[in-house]
Amino acid sequence: MESTDFLNLLKRHQAAPPISVPPEDAVRVEATEGTTILALRYRDGVLVAGDRRATMGNVMVYDRADKVLCIDDDSVLALSGSPAMAYEIARLLEISFQHYRRSQLQVLSLDGKLRILSRLMRENLPMAMQGIGAVVPIFSSYDAVAETGKIYFYDVLGAQFETVDYCTTGSGSPAIRGALYYQNRWGDEPLAEMEEARSLTLILKMLETAAEFDTATGGYRRSAQVFPQVMRITASGIGSIAEAELEPIYRNQLQI
Amino acid sequence: MLEEPYRWVEAVRNRREYLEDQLRSAAPVVGLSFDRGLVLLTSTPGPRKIFEVYNQVAFAAIGHPADIEKLRKAVIDIAHVEAFNFSESDISLQRLVSFGVGPLIKSAFDEIFRSPYTARGLMAELDPPDDQDALYMIDADGSFISARDAAVVGGNAAGAPALRRRLGEAGSGLPLQEALRRAIEVWAAGRLMETDEADPDEEQVAEFLGRELAGTRLEAAVLDRTLPTKTKFRLLADDELREVTASYSS
Repeated sequence: MESTDFLNLLKRHQAAPPISVPPEDAVRVEATEGTTILALRYRDGVLVAGDRRATMGNVMVYDRADKVLCIDDDSVLALSGSPAMAYEIARLLEISFQHYRRSQLQVLSLDGKLRILSRLMRENLPMAMQGIGAVVPIFSSYDAVAETGKIYFYDVLGAQFETVDYCTTGSGSPAIRGALYYQNRWGDEPLAEMEEARSLTLILKMLETAAEFDTATGGYRRSAQVFPQVMRITASGIGSIAEAELEPIYRNQLQI
Repeated sequence: MLEEPYRWVEAVRNRREYLEDQLRSAAPVVGLSFDRGLVLLTSTPGPRKIFEVYNQVAFAAIGHPADIEKLRKAVIDIAHVEAFNFSESDISLQRLVSFGVGPLIKSAFDEIFRSPYTARGLMAELDPPDDQDALYMIDADGSFISARDAAVVGGNAAGAPALRRRLGEAGSGLPLQEALRRAIEVWAAGRLMETDEADPDEEQVAEFLGRELAGTRLEAAVLDRTLPTKTKFRLLADDELREVTASYSS
């Protein structure tokens, strides 16, 4: 049987993104970086959120970056690290899944999807080792077989880990990991049992906390109407949570 | 021996005859516009003949299943590499056919010592840009013609013009059920013309449908612009087809 793999197909067409190791003495370009992303399991599935700021050292490059990307009908990729590589990986992933579905006449399994992402991370390894283009993604999906939301994260080398209830990566993540752990363990309700409204409020509070302690993470800015991105993944598919829905939560629950 | 021009022409002619012979008994594929997009319909003894290529593009073919499979894979590969290199909106049927599938079939047809693709294709694009034609009929020698609202490829090439005329009267903007009825009638006419090249009349078609439809597996798909999903391609379920075919049973 002929290879069904989209990445190999791109290589045959010499259209795969060039991955090469820059020489040791290459001039380091200061690269744009994206910051805090997090995913929480809740009663109906998973909420995935990301702040909107992209930075380059001390410079804020962009305050409306999209770091939470919808890959197909039931998976969402959130990205921290280099947006240049991250967007390329997201694009490759999206088209790989589509190519598989159309050419093989069946949907790629969750394990198959994770495997492709793992491989893409490894392809990016030589550059990441040089400190350029490192990406730390969180892959969230709804597992129709187990009837539950699933969250996976990857390290820079492409190792895949499944987390049970929550995950956060990026420069603002150390500020909120402890808070999430505390909330999940000793809060009045474990994360995975919360209803959506509660989980949504928590995720926005976490992003604000990250923004408080990490200059590279952008918080909610009422004056500029900058909202974080939040997506929900449930049995009925993926939905983006509208800014109009977030605004009253900031006003009433977060008092911003 | 093929250096002699005469021999070469003869070899090509033999090839055409061979293909004609191989394809003769294939059930036709009909493509037709309806009020929400395009519908494709055919019958099959088993393997699928209508496929999704991209969100708005579909591929159908008659012929040898392995050749259909090769062409389908090729055109899906081209579309996805395009989508990755440029963007989804740059995938157009006109380019897929005239720069992709057309030349691919033609080059296999030209290589006298290799077997050609034993297949004829029908491709469809929902709402093509710049008001271009939405349907392409691709012959086994790689030549193709396009049509706006209605197209058909059948096993009997000689009967194709008559089938196209029959469809031409359909016009567009029909509701799905009506479009399916029309497609089924043209499909039946195509089947009748496998053996007898004379254009069958209404009565013969009705009689054929009453006799044959119950034992036939129809396959149909739509490119429906009202679908909420990114992909506008949807295979019709057997139940949906049964609603239409029930009226023909005698």
